Amino acid sequence: MTALEFQTAHEGLWVELEQAIQLPERKLDPQRFLALYRTCCEHFALAEARGFPSAIIERLSIVTARAHQIVYRQSDFGIARIARVLLNRFPAMVRAHRGYVALSALLAVGPAVVLGLAVYHKPDLILSIVDGSTAAKFEKMYDPSNEVLGRLRDAGSNWMMFGFYIMNNIGIAFQCYATGVLLGVGSVYFIAMNGAFGGAIAGYVASAGFGGTFFSFVATHSAFELTAIVLCGAAGLRIGRAVLLPGRLPRAVALELAAKDTSVIVFGSAVMLVIAAAIEAFWSSAAWVTPTAKYCGAAACWILVTLFFLRRPYAD
Amino acid sequence: MNPAIDTVLSAETPEGIAISIRPAGFAVRATAFLIDATIRVFFLMTCATVLAAGGRFGGGLFYIFFFVLNWLYPVIFELTPAAATPGKRIMGLVVLMANGLPITPAGCLIRNLMRVVDVLPLFYAFGIVTMLLRGDSRRLGDLAGGTVVAYRYDVQPAGSLADAVPMPPPISLSRRQQIAIMAFGFRVERLTPERAEEIAELASAAVADAPARLSLTTRLVGVARWLHGERRASAPAGSSAR
Repeated sequence: MTALEFQTAHEGLWVELEQAIQLPERKLDPQRFLALYRTCCEHFALAEARGFPSAIIERLSIVTARAHQIVYRQSDFGIARIARVLLNRFPAMVRAHRGYVALSALLAVGPAVVLGLAVYHKPDLILSIVDGSTAAKFEKMYDPSNEVLGRLRDAGSNWMMFGFYIMNNIGIAFQCYATGVLLGVGSVYFIAMNGAFGGAIAGYVASAGFGGTFFSFVATHSAFELTAIVLCGAAGLRIGRAVLLPGRLPRAVALELAAKDTSVIVFGSAVMLVIAAAIEAFWSSAAWVTPTAKYCGAAACWILVTLFFLRRPYAD
Repeated sequence: MNPAIDTVLSAETPEGIAISIRPAGFAVRATAFLIDATIRVFFLMTCATVLAAGGRFGGGLFYIFFFVLNWLYPVIFELTPAAATPGKRIMGLVVLMANGLPITPAGCLIRNLMRVVDVLPLFYAFGIVTMLLRGDSRRLGDLAGGTVVAYRYDVQPAGSLADAVPMPPPISLSRRQQIAIMAFGFRVERLTPERAEEIAELASAAVADAPARLSLTTRLVGVARWLHGERRASAPAGSSAR
C-alpha cells in the first residue's frame, strides 16, 4: 500500500478525530472517540513502520498525542475522592512515616523546651531571638486585660486574623516541606527554628506572669497547627532522605517517589492548618471564653487528632 | 532522533505508539513566568483597592486572596483542561507528566510547592541552574513532581509534495532510500534551486536520465511522487499530502 492509498483510505477517520479533539469534553461520544483514537494510533504506528512521508506521520503524531491527553485525563477530582484521600490515605501515609514524624516532633519540641526553660529563667535571653520591640509586643498581646488575646487590639478583626493565619501558617508548613529537598537541611532548620521561636515566646510571656492567657490561647489550635507543621517537616525529612540516601534507585527517581508518597501528607496538613486558623481566630483569641473551657476544648481537640491518626478503617 | 542534537522526549503509550514531548527551555518559560507575575501583581493591586473598602473583613479576604495567588494560582490553572497558567498558555506551553500523561493533581501540587526551593537563593537560581543543566529543562519541582513543561501539540506539519510528473525509479530502492527521497520531495520548496540541485545530484542514480529537458530536481521529485503512490503521468496538480 502506498502512502497515497493509505491516506485516501483513512483520512476520513483522521479528520473526524482532529475535529473531535477540538470539542469540549462533555460533547464527546466516549465510545466513538476511543475507537477513533485507537484506530489512529494504529495508523500512526503503521505509517512510521512503513516510512510514509513525514507530513502524514507528523499529522498522526499530533492528533494522537492530543487525543491521548483527553483519554487519560483524571477527570475524577470530585468531593468523594478528596474525602477518601483526607480520611483514609492521609492518616495511613502518616503512619507509614512514623519514624520521620517522631524525628520531626523531636526537632520541634526539643529546642522549644530548652529555649522555653532558658528564657523563663533568664528573660533577657529573648533578645537573642527577637528584638526588644517584638518581645514587648508579644508581652502586650497576652496581657489578660486585653479584650482579644494573641494579638494587639488594633491588629484587626477575627476575619482579618483568619486570613492572616492561613497565609502565614500554611506558608511556614510548605517551607518546612519543600526545603527538605536540600538534603533535608532546610526542613531541619525550619522545624527547629519554629520550635525554638515558639518555645522562647512561651517562656518569655510566662516569665512576665501572663502564662495563663498564653497557654489557654495556644492549647486548642496547636492540636492542629503544631501537628500539621510537624507532619510537613516529617514529609520534608523523607524528601531529604531520598536525595541524600537514594539507596538502589537513581536520585531523581528516589526524589520523585518520595514526593509522590508525601504529597498526601502536605495536602492533609494544609487542611489541618485551615482548621487551626479558624480556631485561632474565632475561639482561642476570644477573651469571653474562660480558660477552663478553652482547656476542655483543647483536650477534646488533641484527643480527636490523636484518634484520627491512630484509627485504621482499613488495613494500611 | 539523536539525543545529542535534539531535546525531544519520547513516551510510550499503552496503544503502542510513542508520543513526542518537546520540552520548553529556559527563555520561553521565563517569559511565561513574567506574564504570570504581571497578572498576579495586577490582580493583587485590584483586590487591595476593592477590599480596602471592606474594612477588616476585607483585610482578611485580602490575606486569603494573597495566599491563593501566591501558592495556588499555578495549581488551579494547571489542573484545568488547558494544563497551563495564562502565561504558559500565551507562550504555547503545557504541563505534562514526564511519561506523557496529563498532569495529575499530586504532580501539580508538588511541582508548585517546590517553587520554595527553586527560588533559592535568589531569583529562582536553583531552578534555573537545574533547568540549564538538563536536556529536558526540568527544574527541581518538575523532578519531584514527575512533570515536564512542554510545547503544546498544535504545530501544523508544514510542507507538501512539490509539483512534478510521477516517474518510476530505474533501480529498486531500499526502504531508507525511499524515505529519504520522499522527504526531499516535501522539503524541496523550502530550498534554493541551486541547493536542491546539489542534493539531487547525490541521488542521481535513483533517477532516470530522460527526459533531459527536466532538471534533476524535478525528476527526483517525480520519483518521490511515484514512491508516494501517484502512478498516472497526468496526476492532478497540487495533489499533496494534505
